[in-house]
Amino acid sequence: MAIYINGTGCISHQNTIDVADFFENAQVACQQRLVAQEPDYKNYVPANMFRRMSHVIKMGVAAAKISLQQAEIENVDAIITGTGLGCFEDTDKFLRAIIENDEQLLTPTSFIQSTHNTVAGQIALLIKCHNYNFTYTQQGLSFESALIDAKMFLNENKNSNILVGGLDEAIQPYFDLLLQAGEIKKQEDIIVEIENNKTKGFCLGEGASFFVLSNEKHKNTKAEIKGIKTFTSLKDGGDLQNKLSLFLQELNLSVNDISLVLSGNSGDVEDDKILNETNRNIFSQTNIAYFKNLCGEYFTASAFALWLASAIIEKQEIPTALVNKPTQGLLIKNILILNQYRNSEYSFMCISSC
Amino acid sequence: MVFVTGIGIISAIGKNVSETLSSLLESRTGIGKIHHLQTIHANNFVAGEVKYSLQELENLAGLKNSNYNRTTLLSLLATQEALLSAGIEDITTHRTGFISASSVGGMCHTELLYEDFLEDKSPENFIDSHYTGAHATDVAKHFGISDYVTTISTACSSAANAIMLGARLINNNILDRVVVGGTDALCKFTFNGFNTLMILDKEWCKPFDNNRKGLNLGEGAAYLVLESERVVKAENKKVLATLSGYGNANDAYHQTASSPDGQGAYAAIQKALQVANLSTDKINYVNAHGTGTANNDLSEATAMQNIFKQNIPPFSSTKSFTGHTLAAAAGIEAVISILSIQNKTIFPNLNCKTQMEDAVLFPVTNLQKNVEINHVLSNSFGFGGNCSSLIFSKN
Repeated sequence: MAIYINGTGCISHQNTIDVADFFENAQVACQQRLVAQEPDYKNYVPANMFRRMSHVIKMGVAAAKISLQQAEIENVDAIITGTGLGCFEDTDKFLRAIIENDEQLLTPTSFIQSTHNTVAGQIALLIKCHNYNFTYTQQGLSFESALIDAKMFLNENKNSNILVGGLDEAIQPYFDLLLQAGEIKKQEDIIVEIENNKTKGFCLGEGASFFVLSNEKHKNTKAEIKGIKTFTSLKDGGDLQNKLSLFLQELNLSVNDISLVLSGNSGDVEDDKILNETNRNIFSQTNIAYFKNLCGEYFTASAFALWLASAIIEKQEIPTALVNKPTQGLLIKNILILNQYRNSEYSFMCISSC
Repeated sequence: MVFVTGIGIISAIGKNVSETLSSLLESRTGIGKIHHLQTIHANNFVAGEVKYSLQELENLAGLKNSNYNRTTLLSLLATQEALLSAGIEDITTHRTGFISASSVGGMCHTELLYEDFLEDKSPENFIDSHYTGAHATDVAKHFGISDYVTTISTACSSAANAIMLGARLINNNILDRVVVGGTDALCKFTFNGFNTLMILDKEWCKPFDNNRKGLNLGEGAAYLVLESERVVKAENKKVLATLSGYGNANDAYHQTASSPDGQGAYAAIQKALQVANLSTDKINYVNAHGTGTANNDLSEATAMQNIFKQNIPPFSSTKSFTGHTLAAAAGIEAVISILSIQNKTIFPNLNCKTQMEDAVLFPVTNLQKNVEINHVLSNSFGFGGNCSSLIFSKN
């Protein structure tokens, strides 16, 4: 059963809001922390709700609204979100208040908004959606969990529209925590070509990417999601390559059918080993592009990759910021997203033209 | 059809199923003085603590220097019992998943080290175990479960959604067998959060009482093993109950408060009845969400009145035994619902004396034995408007 992407909304480190600018002004920024370019939120969020919203809530609600506008619908049959970190700005605020005030004279706002399901709940409130509402949190597979649920939901409920999204924030205290834990790449080690890294660590990114999915095609349909698979305990590179062959087989695709691979290298020399080996062994003749130098590494960066794949298929154009060689005239039929998070969680997504 | 073949539980009323059942049969609450949680409020409130220190929990699990936090150890202990109870020795014989739920994950550990972090004293790395899904990764790995692992975090309805997802993964032929449930450890973060909302009762909570003053927080974990019809038949497995219905809806009324008419709750119950293909008169018992707050109990009562009309089935909130265990609550109450079916017993709603003025219903307040229970409805609602209902049936 086909799953069509009928609307998308993305807030990221790049200008992904203005669809006319398709990475023409992309910045591959050599920074440890890649914060999002934010839109004028007043276009998407009522002022009375806006005031209390934290960074990730604003990004999430706005990206959701943009995707609904694109799909030309006002309500949905399900809202499913994935977030690895949850609402950390509010969590940090409330934790600080507990510590600074010795558990006294606290106010509830940041506690109320600290739960992982806040964004899904706020979207439901905003569009008055009483339907199915789920929030997943499984580190680097949080968005994939939401997408797997969406796929099942469409199988169970024909003719429905689903809003599914992945979102995470890179606020300062979280960045500081990762820095202290030694996970962030040293400034002097950051290089533009993420795949050629020889050092440990990654650059932290953030963003919110939402999709309106349906079994039904729409005049604004951008692409089709052909398949998704996740893995948590890989033995080695060979194991991933076997799993990838099986995945393509199940979709009746061969390696030659893949027009582009979006490879989730984080820039960490150790964590990227298996992906690099797979790309070398299986995709030596295929266009490979890397996306985490555009959006940074975060738990739901794969949602950014899905947004990117969907946009590339719709426009039939691979931005030059992504590939070194010219790809004009290339028919872009199938895009494969290979993602990894900390070399412990892997996922495959296949997105096709339709 | 999805079958429950194993159950495991740890909470304030016991570290396993048999202790839990004894406490329930003897109407013995687990809510009392706070011993383990380090908070300045300890002497002013009661809570449903698991009666073991972190070290004791690790010993119970048969582990040494695991570095697991309380959330993970609770999850691990309840999962261990569930797998044992389902008679599963080799996890690899079927496509097996682990679907957990938690509201704050490793917060119980994070909050102990956060001050040092803020003061730049570089404490040990706690961020990797802070993530809410981290416990699921660790517990799944511990038991060798790898076909599908995820965590749901929809506040106080989380475990109900984990159970529902597990059933759907089986019904969609993605998994043959799945361990589903939730875990949450008490922590200062949550305790102070609920305290600022002024919905904590300083004494024992009184769900559905006209004079109810709020909830008591609790902690614990509980998991069910769900298996497909094919596996149950092939292995001739003992079935404890079936999961016959599930429903998820959103109240879309307020970030934390429930709507006065219980719209979300009503929709969740109605969907669960539809999936189970049952009319309302078939429900023999309702294990209510019943937190003991003014807002929840009225909203839930209104939803029940609207669904069941004049024939409201016997109902009780067992949070008066365990406290509100947040993301674990629906797991704990699923196990209690199944114990109800197995033992033909309705466990009482403790501390409720006076009927609510604004509702026509009153819970079961004394243990009722020899009741034929074919179908139990279990409700769970949470922040963010998340409402979920499950129906467990006698096999």
